[in-house]
Amino acid sequence: MSKKLTVIPEKCSGCKLCELACAIKHFGVNNPKKSAVRVLVTYPHPVVRMPIVCSQCKKPPCEDACPVGAISRSDGVVKIDEDVCISCFRCVEACPFGAVYVHDDCTFPIKCDLCGGDPECVKQCPKSALLLLPEYSLGSSNRLNNVLSYSQMKEIEYSEEGEVKTIRYAEIGKEEL
Amino acid sequence: MTLKGGYFRKYLHCDLSAGTCERLPLSDEIIAKYIGGRGFGAKMVWDNLKAHDFKIDPLGPENLLVIAPGPLTGVYLPASGKTSFVSISPATGLYGDSSMGGSFGVELRQAGLDFLSVTGAAPELSILFIDDDEEAKIIPMPQLKGKSCLETEGIIKKHLGSNDVHVAAIGVAGENLVRFACVNGDWSRNAGRTGIGAVMGSKNLKAIVVRGEADLPVADLDSVIQETEKAMRYMREHKFFHVWQQQGLMSVIEYANTQGILPTCNFKATVFQGHDKINGETMLDRYKIGDSACFMCPMSCGNICLVKNGKYTGTVTEGPEYESCAMLGSNLGVDKFDAVLEANRLCDEYGIDTISTGGIIGAIIEGYESGVVSLEDLDGSEISWNDDGAIMELIRKIAQREGIGDTLANGAKAIIERWPEMDKLLLQVKGLEQSAYDSRVGASMGLAYATSDIGAHHTRAWTIAKEIEEGANWTPRQKVDLVIYHQTLRPLFDMLGVCRLPWIELGLNERHYEKFYSYVTGKETTLEDLLALSNVIYSLTRRINVHMGATRKDDTLPYKVREAPILTGPNAGKKLDAQEFDKMLSLYYEVRGWDENGVPPAEMEALF
Repeated sequence: MSKKLTVIPEKCSGCKLCELACAIKHFGVNNPKKSAVRVLVTYPHPVVRMPIVCSQCKKPPCEDACPVGAISRSDGVVKIDEDVCISCFRCVEACPFGAVYVHDDCTFPIKCDLCGGDPECVKQCPKSALLLLPEYSLGSSNRLNNVLSYSQMKEIEYSEEGEVKTIRYAEIGKEEL
Repeated sequence: MTLKGGYFRKYLHCDLSAGTCERLPLSDEIIAKYIGGRGFGAKMVWDNLKAHDFKIDPLGPENLLVIAPGPLTGVYLPASGKTSFVSISPATGLYGDSSMGGSFGVELRQAGLDFLSVTGAAPELSILFIDDDEEAKIIPMPQLKGKSCLETEGIIKKHLGSNDVHVAAIGVAGENLVRFACVNGDWSRNAGRTGIGAVMGSKNLKAIVVRGEADLPVADLDSVIQETEKAMRYMREHKFFHVWQQQGLMSVIEYANTQGILPTCNFKATVFQGHDKINGETMLDRYKIGDSACFMCPMSCGNICLVKNGKYTGTVTEGPEYESCAMLGSNLGVDKFDAVLEANRLCDEYGIDTISTGGIIGAIIEGYESGVVSLEDLDGSEISWNDDGAIMELIRKIAQREGIGDTLANGAKAIIERWPEMDKLLLQVKGLEQSAYDSRVGASMGLAYATSDIGAHHTRAWTIAKEIEEGANWTPRQKVDLVIYHQTLRPLFDMLGVCRLPWIELGLNERHYEKFYSYVTGKETTLEDLLALSNVIYSLTRRINVHMGATRKDDTLPYKVREAPILTGPNAGKKLDAQEFDKMLSLYYEVRGWDENGVPPAEMEALF
């Protein structure tokens, strides 16, 4: 069963623990800039905190862009063969998510390898903003939201022993025009 | 002895007058004695004072500004994102520092620096850009004049074409030398207190911009990781961990109200009727849209809030945290959470400290109510409790130094000079407005404010919760000992460059930090060793203040704490007895080994 590293930006606090955990696991140094996952923050319009990480695409643009065929996908992971790679960084520019990284000290591009199936960032994220999910479950929260959006939350005020209170309830059906 | 890790043994010194930036070596001796953060800051400020015969105008070019993370900043351990901003304070004229979270300090260290010191003043509004190991540049950017903190960060990122830089900027208030202006970093993390923003403003330094990518030197990373796993597990399993993740410091509003220490209408009362309209539950229910955390912090105490309807629709702010919400909310009688958010946002944009702003506006409202401040003084605009429109207007006037705002912008001392009766209304020590814990309920908190080196702030000692819980029968000596322990341990966090909240709020054992320091530096060190160094720095900052003219007469309680009992709530009628406080202060000096005037022995200076 294929699994996918999934990001829930709404849960991310921007603490960058994932960055440091990744860098330590792969390079053994305390340097968040040597990580294959980076948190990008925009503020104040819109407010987004999003870890950017490789999607392990089944038709990887990075593979297409590689002039020497160093990139290939096997067992659900897109890998760079460092014996073949010439460090031209075309893959870095080709990735539509910007999820392949470069560091001055490193000869090769820095790219997520899913830690052999047990990603360190997922284990360490204190907010569960990074998850390793089976592919069949992808989109399930959107499906549920779609169903829930069919109902509308309504709020009414009522009076109890002279005190004004509110109650919220869900109504199903099309909104009245 | 050169340590195996923890330091680059280099700092950057910028002279803005001369237009020079130099990477200088940092000696092993200074590293061993001052550890980092506030320690480095105090040492550099001390040396600069001595070089100027202790005659320094906080807003003059000769005042040195030190921005110092610590040896643990950026390391794989809980909440390691803190940086100290140290200088002579324009608010107090004495030693001042304030710490900032986020990732700014991590970036500074990754540029290969242990700290940054800035002196002089640029001929025109400029930024300082430190790009990794390249030569640092002073770049004139007059187009930033009048821009808010957040705008400035956005403009700089666009100008440099990089989202990867970290920015610490001042707003209009810093440019206008408002004496409680702050420095805003990573969008909304503030070095809030003691007016460091005005120091930057006086140097024509609009922002410091950093990007770095060096490995941080850690002697024994494997042991750090193991220790961190233990600490993180403890924190995750703590019963309040999830409350912290959800509400952050906003959970304290309910606690403070229940305990009767929530400042209400300029500390007249300590229980606020509208507390449930500005508390953490209300924030969660209607306003919070996201979490924000400093580097490596699982607690994510920052809240991002959005106002979705009403007259402040569209207001986005990171915050409030407890102090901001109490000082701009209950302390001004404001029971509208959207108004608190807007006031918080304005303070962040203008770059002024929320605590001082809330304290000053509260005193002005009471001053107007009691006739100390006239309608004419207020430029003809009335102001009253819960009057959010007038409050926003006053915040703007302070930042832009307009009308009455020009006096208010000069802080507590200038306000009392103009309206001497305000001494009875404005709660302050040494010219710094008091933070949001009422010390009339606990004498140790009064002592903490009175003897704090930066003025009435709780950063040095926050003893009130413990005294409320356990202190009913404490002797004066126990109170003194607790204050001194806090004043020794809490600044140590600022020296190491980490946040103290895992310890003070979740009870993470402080012994973890001796291990972190030992593993990072490769030098076996005990907590007692570190505390001893922190204690020397407390004497150092005290000696600085003595040289700048502060003695026992400045270690005071605000008038209200001595003379005006709390009006309502569980603590109604409480105030601190001035004579008993005086005795406790003498005892405090005695235990510290200072003389009757609160002066540490001059021979100590041989240690610095």
